[in-house]
Amino acid sequence: MQVTLKIQRYNPETEAGGVETYTVDAAEEATLLDVLDVIKDEVDGSLSYRKSCRMAVCGSCGMRMDGAAVLACKTPVKPLVDEGHVPVISPMGNLPVIKDLVVDMGPFWEKFRAIKPYLDDTDSDPPVKEWRVQQEELDQIMKEALCIQCGCCVSECNSMEADPDFLGPAALAKAARFVYDVRDRGGKSRLELVNGQHGVWDCTRCYFCQERCPKGVDPRDAIAKVGARIYQEGMHGDRGARHAKVFVKSTYKTGYLLETNLVPETVGAVAAIKDIPFAMKLVRAGKVPNPLKPHKAKKLDEVNKLNKLVGEQEKDELRRASAGPARGD
Amino acid sequence: MKSSYAYYPGCLASLSQKELDTSTRAIAERLGFELVDIPGFTCCGAGDVHEARPEYYLHLNARILGQAEQLGQDTLLTICNVCTLNLRQADRKLKDDPELLARVNDNLREVGAATYSGGVEVRHLLWEIAEGEGYERLKQVASKPLTGLRVAPFYGCQILRPSKLLGFEDPDRPQSLERIIEACGAEPVDYPSKIRCCGFPIVLAREEVALGELIQPLAEAKEAGADMIVTPCPLCHLSLDAWQGKASREADLEFDLPILHLAQLVGAAAGLSYDELLFKRHVVKVDPVVHKIYAEH
Repeated sequence: MQVTLKIQRYNPETEAGGVETYTVDAAEEATLLDVLDVIKDEVDGSLSYRKSCRMAVCGSCGMRMDGAAVLACKTPVKPLVDEGHVPVISPMGNLPVIKDLVVDMGPFWEKFRAIKPYLDDTDSDPPVKEWRVQQEELDQIMKEALCIQCGCCVSECNSMEADPDFLGPAALAKAARFVYDVRDRGGKSRLELVNGQHGVWDCTRCYFCQERCPKGVDPRDAIAKVGARIYQEGMHGDRGARHAKVFVKSTYKTGYLLETNLVPETVGAVAAIKDIPFAMKLVRAGKVPNPLKPHKAKKLDEVNKLNKLVGEQEKDELRRASAGPARGD
Repeated sequence: MKSSYAYYPGCLASLSQKELDTSTRAIAERLGFELVDIPGFTCCGAGDVHEARPEYYLHLNARILGQAEQLGQDTLLTICNVCTLNLRQADRKLKDDPELLARVNDNLREVGAATYSGGVEVRHLLWEIAEGEGYERLKQVASKPLTGLRVAPFYGCQILRPSKLLGFEDPDRPQSLERIIEACGAEPVDYPSKIRCCGFPIVLAREEVALGELIQPLAEAKEAGADMIVTPCPLCHLSLDAWQGKASREADLEFDLPILHLAQLVGAAAGLSYDELLFKRHVVKVDPVVHKIYAEH
């Protein structure tokens, strides 16, 4: 089978770049990585990319195909050949390019280190025997534990493009893996690492990470899990948590979003006042509902009771989660 | 295609984005869709309640789905990306886990709310008119072609991703809005950022990050020669419309791009009036572009 690829090249010594087109023969079952190997062996030995395990375990061969991050070793090329499509292969996004398809993973690992990706058990006596982790407790962190740190999620993160210091989906999914580990005693100090500027509340919920992850980690869901723990521990200082608080309140106060509360209660009165000229533009367009006559849903008592009832159940669950694992006997 | 739906406008279209609800009801009549109101529905909680209190979010959404079921409807029609994903996520979770559904229903019963048996599918208006019989009806009602208008589609995130929960079309190469724009007689404008994020969920908590995300689609659509942008999501709309001035100052670029709701675009092509579609309720004035449709404005 003849395969044609367009590859984004970059040589740091000459700073020469551009897209090169390569056509080679490959086996029907060839992956994108196999084709790159053929090009490197037979056509152009200077082509650079990372690889190791060839079986979607090591996380080395993350790159973009037509602008979307993939693991080269997990991507068959036959469907593209059958379609007559010539894909463009380029390096992952949000990370500096070293050469051709090789990116500098330095910033990625820095963010990983920042969330302390190891168990914190300083708060507890050493167990006489092993900790007993129940299946349902393991299930809570199983998806996040599947991460192979390939960087495909980080490559596509829309928030990180706007804020390069955002911790991002990979580091935050790893944080969820420890926050929800019953053996971990990090508690609020662990949550502080991912709360505040560049933490969970920077995520804009674009779900690109979830779409691209080749291992089913569901990083956006993991970020939400960390946000939930922060919120339920009563850590409401960040604008992101305060924003969420208005939404929660809205559901049972009127049933509809309290739009006029959202700005002052999220950003604070001073910042809200500074933004009055902007608010007036919205008023003129009819975008600001009358706060004195809020739109109210019918049957609000149901939602009020639901908030209290489920709220109590959430507190019980949090107490159970904070109790730690069972000791071995 | 169905002709009767439990209609869930959500918060924004009931409040600041009222023009979306009004124009949806107006086009529904033309399209022959019967919209059945859901008495006592609440906010779906958006991404915020979903993140902060996932259990409470699940109950809120189960209640809404149960209310739709009580009306004897098997399809709930949404007009907002966030409502669509929130309701579909809750629905999937409840359908996949009978024990969870039973536990949620016990709570709903205890507070006297509608329970849910899993008999509802959540569909966005976009999907209902982009293919099949809905698309055929759209072509019939679009009697006033918007000839010569160059319209940039902006999908927003939560109608495309995660595709395993939404799954209507290829999340990287969507075509539904383009098909509708063409059916309305206008010309779709292509640009890479049409599938990216508008930054809205964090526009209050992290305005500078959100604006950084918002600039790119506006700049690309402008560069591609668009007269206007159309979006199926009222949150994207608010971001692209109300925050456009701030994005413009931040980027030092003049965008001047009117932003239309999907229902307004269809409504204009169906011959509904300027007033019926509430075009006056826009922050970026639509008149310079919309006057091509309505000579009198």
